[in-house]
Amino acid sequence: MMRSLRLSLLSLALVLTACGEPMKGVEIRDAEVAAPLVFTAHDGTRFDLATEKGKIVLVYFGYTHCPDVCPTTMSDWVRAKRALGEKAEQVRWVFVSMDPDRDTPELALSYARQFDPAFLGLTGTTEELEALKRAWGIAAYPEGDTRTNDYTVAHPAHTFVVDVDGRLRYLYEPGVSGEDLAKDLRKLL
Amino acid sequence: MRTWQKIFGSCCSAAVLFALAACAEKSPEPTPAPTGLSVRGAWARAADSGAMTAVYFTLANDAVSSDTLTGVSSPDAAVTEMHVSTQRDGMMHMSPVTALPVPAMDSVSFRPLGAHVMLTGVVRPLTDGDSVTATLSFVSGATVTVRAGVRKP
Repeated sequence: MMRSLRLSLLSLALVLTACGEPMKGVEIRDAEVAAPLVFTAHDGTRFDLATEKGKIVLVYFGYTHCPDVCPTTMSDWVRAKRALGEKAEQVRWVFVSMDPDRDTPELALSYARQFDPAFLGLTGTTEELEALKRAWGIAAYPEGDTRTNDYTVAHPAHTFVVDVDGRLRYLYEPGVSGEDLAKDLRKLL
Repeated sequence: MRTWQKIFGSCCSAAVLFALAACAEKSPEPTPAPTGLSVRGAWARAADSGAMTAVYFTLANDAVSSDTLTGVSSPDAAVTEMHVSTQRDGMMHMSPVTALPVPAMDSVSFRPLGAHVMLTGVVRPLTDGDSVTATLSFVSGATVTVRAGVRKP
């Protein structure tokens, strides 16, 4: 009886080890190569997602006049980066502002870097961002009075994760802990 | 003990008891703080001068009657408003809130990805270890001052 129980527990432990913890993100089935994402940062750095294969790229579409959700997500990224340690060098962290009327490449970059110097902040013209939205199948639009700058921007809630092969693989809900995010990123590296 | 001392002592005891009884009739039951409203766990994210940030806290109402938060102000920002973030169909929205009920014997959380006090145009750089102040105004006329420690983003 005891021998049987021990064997059962051992089997269960082996199965659990093999399966591991489930990923916290939402997996995109039949993931395809991510749509183009090409901008020049304020410091002159050209970012082209297509040339980032071999690294994981996290992308968040937000805006700098965002006092709650965007900084919450950026803070979670900070914790994830810290938890990754040296592995974080294999990850790119990209914030894209979807507020072309107020945000400049300079603002986008300084916003991202206030969270971590390694974070990249990008944006483009209205036309460039419209093209980006169509290519990525996302939405972002002002809510409020744009004439008086008294408006907010509705934007995608999730962090988009592009894997080392350049495929858009996972979406992460806002509020995912940095530690959970880091665990998942380790599995993707 | 002499007889007159016993009589005097009894009279004094009776007078004290009488006085206590009279006080008990006039005084109401022990009451909590005048408003019953209090704030705990307040914090704000660090921000550059002129930028935006949010203040988070738990607002408790220990009174037996509900109240409604209708105003926020802060000397540390050009504009102070209540906002709530909501997620719908994969999109994040942020909307202003003008009145927020605070039920009796209950609490309301101002937390990331939810309700928050939004500071627009902070008047100085807010760095780790600083603090900001906000005043909450209620329908009842009560006001509560929030002192929030600043944390790194």
